[in-house]
Amino acid sequence: MTTAETGAPARAQGRRPPTPKARRTRRRLAVAGTVLACAAGFLLYKALTSAFVYFKTAAQAVADRAALGDSTFQIEGTVVPCTLRRVGADSYDFSIASGPVRVAVRDSETPPSLFQPNIGVVLGGHFVGSSEVFSSSVIYIKHSNQYVAAHPGRLARGTEPTGCSAASLAGT
Amino acid sequence: MRNTSLLLRATGLLAVAGLGATVWLGIWVTPPDEHMGNLVRLLYIHPPAAWVAFLAYGVAFLASLLYLWPRTRDLRLDRVAGASAEVGVVFTALTLLSGSIWGRPTWGTWWTWDPLLTTTALLFVLYLGYLALRSVPGDPVVRARRSAIGALIAFIDVPIVYFSVDWWRSLHQPPTVDLATRQMYVHGSMAWTMLLGFVAMTLLYCWLVGHRYRLATLVAIAESEGAEVALAERRAEARSDRLVGAGLGRLADVPSSPALEPAGAARAETMVETLGSEWRPEGGAGLAGSSAS
Repeated sequence: MTTAETGAPARAQGRRPPTPKARRTRRRLAVAGTVLACAAGFLLYKALTSAFVYFKTAAQAVADRAALGDSTFQIEGTVVPCTLRRVGADSYDFSIASGPVRVAVRDSETPPSLFQPNIGVVLGGHFVGSSEVFSSSVIYIKHSNQYVAAHPGRLARGTEPTGCSAASLAGT
Repeated sequence: MRNTSLLLRATGLLAVAGLGATVWLGIWVTPPDEHMGNLVRLLYIHPPAAWVAFLAYGVAFLASLLYLWPRTRDLRLDRVAGASAEVGVVFTALTLLSGSIWGRPTWGTWWTWDPLLTTTALLFVLYLGYLALRSVPGDPVVRARRSAIGALIAFIDVPIVYFSVDWWRSLHQPPTVDLATRQMYVHGSMAWTMLLGFVAMTLLYCWLVGHRYRLATLVAIAESEGAEVALAERRAEARSDRLVGAGLGRLADVPSSPALEPAGAARAETMVETLGSEWRPEGGAGLAGSSAS
């Protein structure tokens, strides 16, 4: 007869040994706890690194130009009207602005459907060489929190006539 | 009890009616947005789901705080916290899912490590951890206390999520309903539909928490009864061990509580009878006989 069957040691300590079911439950919870702790740690790491400085504004990027070199980062600004040109099948040239500062952008990804002049964008990429041209391979739209019903007799905000020549918008 | 049941049923019916009306207004009645077009219809699901998640964690936080306060300590508060957090986790998942579905066509990505998204994902994992903590076996009072502390810790992330768009640079737009300034940036029938979504989701939350609380109460009762039966059986076992070791004469010395152990006492009596008739010590006298001698 084993000690588990007699329960002698456990009885001596005033406790019963855990049943196989309880042991299984504890093992599963330990695994779940470890997985959750790892996930929380990873998310905390992302929060303190990627999320903490999610992007630099165009003005900040220009100010930090020397330090940034050709490193990859995310830049934010508003698409400047009349600067959008299609230069290839999936590539566009345009400028973004942050206050008075403008940055020329060469984008190599098809923009999302909401892409348009005067809309905020966050671009992932790097400055080209020593220039202030930003080469973008990721483009996200940063839309506002205002929701207004579409009206056939009214132009949407930001889409008013800009006076751009037809040539500058060709192919867009 | 019956009134509670009726109230819960009425809440459920109102929630279903509210959700139905929200879907009807959201899909067929409200106009498209001037920029987003029909994508705006997720507005009637996503912010209300996020609101309910915050509400659920707020209730769990308050209930946990009250549980830890010695004057208001009550296991019912622990069950409210658990039920609310469980529903909160479901609505956080719904928020993340609907946000991801919305983000792909509008932002251009399913997911990005934006402060709001990252802290929301962290919130989801923290409360999953809280639920895992709740399911660790142990004494209900100890479990309730450590769960309450866990709920307080997890709640720290809630204001961080809400204010993340103000504190850090974010791809996510600021809240559509600004609680600080009490402003709403949605116009016309879209605003009313979204408000209806908020009400309907809140009612759904109340209904789900009500049911989950009742279930948790039943589980607690079952656990308590199970513990009483186990305790009675253990005492009966101890009693029979002593009887075997010391004879029936010491039966009266074994401490017991008949009120707590009807099943165990009955089982012990059966064991004594069985042992008394069958067991024979050296010398040939039965247990009953040795006791009588």
